[in-house]
Amino acid sequence: MECHKCSRNSCHSKTQKNWFTSLFNFQSKSQSYTEVFSEIALVGMPNVGKSVLFNALTGIYATVSNYPGTTVEVARGKTQIGEHSFGVIDTPGMYSLLPITEEEKVARDLLMRKSVSLAIHVVEAKNLGRMLPLTFQLLEAGLPLILAINMMDEASRLKIKIDPLSLEEKLNIPVVKMSATQGIGIDQLKRRIVNYVK
Amino acid sequence: MSNKIIYPQGIEKALQQIHEILEEAQLDFFTNNNLLSQRTLALLILQKDRDIWHNVQVNLPNYNEIEQIIFETQQNLGKPITEAIALTRQKIAIDLENQVLQESQFDQVGIGEKIHHLMVNPLTGFPLLLLILYYGVYQFVGNFGGGTLVDLIEGFFETRINPVVNEAVKVIFPWQILQDLFANDYGIITLGIRYATAIILPIVATYFLVFSIMEDTGYLPRLSLMLDRLFNLIGLSGRAVIPIVLGFGCDTMATVVTRTLETKRERIIATFLLALAIPCAAQWGVILGLLAQKPYALLFWAIIVSCIFLITGFLTSRLLPGKSANFYMEIPPLRLPKLKNIITKTYVRMQWYFWEIIPLFIYASILIWLGRLTGLFDLIIRWLEPVSLSLGLPREVAPVFLYGFFRRDYGAAGLFDIQKNIGLTGNQLVICAIILTLFLPCVAQFQVMLKEQGWKNTLAMVSFIFPFAFVVGFCVFHGLQITGINL
Repeated sequence: MECHKCSRNSCHSKTQKNWFTSLFNFQSKSQSYTEVFSEIALVGMPNVGKSVLFNALTGIYATVSNYPGTTVEVARGKTQIGEHSFGVIDTPGMYSLLPITEEEKVARDLLMRKSVSLAIHVVEAKNLGRMLPLTFQLLEAGLPLILAINMMDEASRLKIKIDPLSLEEKLNIPVVKMSATQGIGIDQLKRRIVNYVK
Repeated sequence: MSNKIIYPQGIEKALQQIHEILEEAQLDFFTNNNLLSQRTLALLILQKDRDIWHNVQVNLPNYNEIEQIIFETQQNLGKPITEAIALTRQKIAIDLENQVLQESQFDQVGIGEKIHHLMVNPLTGFPLLLLILYYGVYQFVGNFGGGTLVDLIEGFFETRINPVVNEAVKVIFPWQILQDLFANDYGIITLGIRYATAIILPIVATYFLVFSIMEDTGYLPRLSLMLDRLFNLIGLSGRAVIPIVLGFGCDTMATVVTRTLETKRERIIATFLLALAIPCAAQWGVILGLLAQKPYALLFWAIIVSCIFLITGFLTSRLLPGKSANFYMEIPPLRLPKLKNIITKTYVRMQWYFWEIIPLFIYASILIWLGRLTGLFDLIIRWLEPVSLSLGLPREVAPVFLYGFFRRDYGAAGLFDIQKNIGLTGNQLVICAIILTLFLPCVAQFQVMLKEQGWKNTLAMVSFIFPFAFVVGFCVFHGLQITGINL
């Protein structure tokens, strides 16, 4: 955990250096604590709804399609939850921490080198089993993690039920069910983010 | 973390050994630069992750010890290490899923499933594709966007804006030279802005609308799946269909998306094909608008361009060494798109596109103005005139090729203008359309190619594409003349 702290600090000094954005961050000085723990990365396989969640959290439009590979580069935004503000990073889809293609490498490098204080692994409800291996890898890597099970609306149409509490118990991380396009579960996710970071 | 994943014994042993070596070495790279845990690092090293392995080789003097460990582990396992690790994870994942997920046993074949099969099966998929192309693209984009809407806005410009601008400019600037910069035949407002708003904008807007619907319903990945076999013929994996299909929206964006391809070889082929034979939204639109009145000419254009796509794809995949990669693609479910999402998406794309072309069109107008002022423009046109004459085109088309150098859609819009004013025959239109399709679309794509492929590959591609476009045009002209076909 020592390692985490040190790179968090280094990132902090980086954000301070950027004079242009600091012009607009009047609050950041009084809330230096939340500034330090500020970056949240949305990760997951292609086409699970990371960009939709990014839109819902930040209000910034990132192109969303029902087509894998729509996000090729990293998008950044900010979200305000209560009195805390967080940076949000939308990453290209990845299948595992061992990248095969260039875009997966972009996402992995981000997790490796940027001081991400929290990763939200977005998974598709009906393909949970296929997506959990990445959750394991993120846990193995020691990243603080929340599992967001998205597209619950589609799953319930297929009569699939998921018990989030027992999954939470087994993985030992917060698990949130949601449907980002309908705006369901976003508030709960936000609450979990704040609790986690506190 | 309470539930650590335990890998097969051999792998666990190797991880422990690698961990010890790393611990002993105390490399700066691994202690400073990494947020990933030691266990993850050891796992990635064991699987010889390209980047991390490179760092190990550079920073660790005794890296061959690790290489030895990997080799031995591999030998003992009898299957690839990566596979063994993935299998372990998958097994645990499936177990976990079974514990927390309840699925109703009755899997009824829904309407979605039926439509999916209709889209993927070539027997029904191709007719469906043709239907979509006919109604969605040809009728809606070509006839409605490129015909009705363009006429409406163009008419508005011609009758309301251009005369006013011409008059106003005459009052403000007493000199003809400055008047020409803003108004008259080649002015910034009367030509540059008019092209952008009256010709390109309505066409691109209607096209993006159709494209967004295809994207959000999930039709595009199914199209990719159906085209997979065709793509294997030309040495591309089905994965390459993704950027190629996206190229019909914007070639520049699609060139960036070639990053999703696994091998360098596939990226080169896809980038090349995008630059050569895939028309982007603006080109599609203007070409459809031009040829909509002449269906046979449109068909002829489509056949020629697809033949070129297949043949050049086939040849490049033969010429480039290496074998094609495996196909692996996610097929998302079919969804009923939300109107709001589609409108937002179309709007955002239109906005992005519009602000990107406006400055370029203005620069082009200024360059043309400068060129005319210095006489350079006329000189180049005089050089190009024999080219257009040898292609059986009227003199007036020569400037269009010059515009085409700036941006393909600018040239296409110019062609649109000529067609309205002096009229071109079907054959002439087809030849222009083919040349403009094969040309590099725009400066932005050129830049992206440079960034993604480096100047060597880019230069090689471009120096093939430019002359090739004209050679094809020349062949088509003579082919049509000899056979006496009038489209």
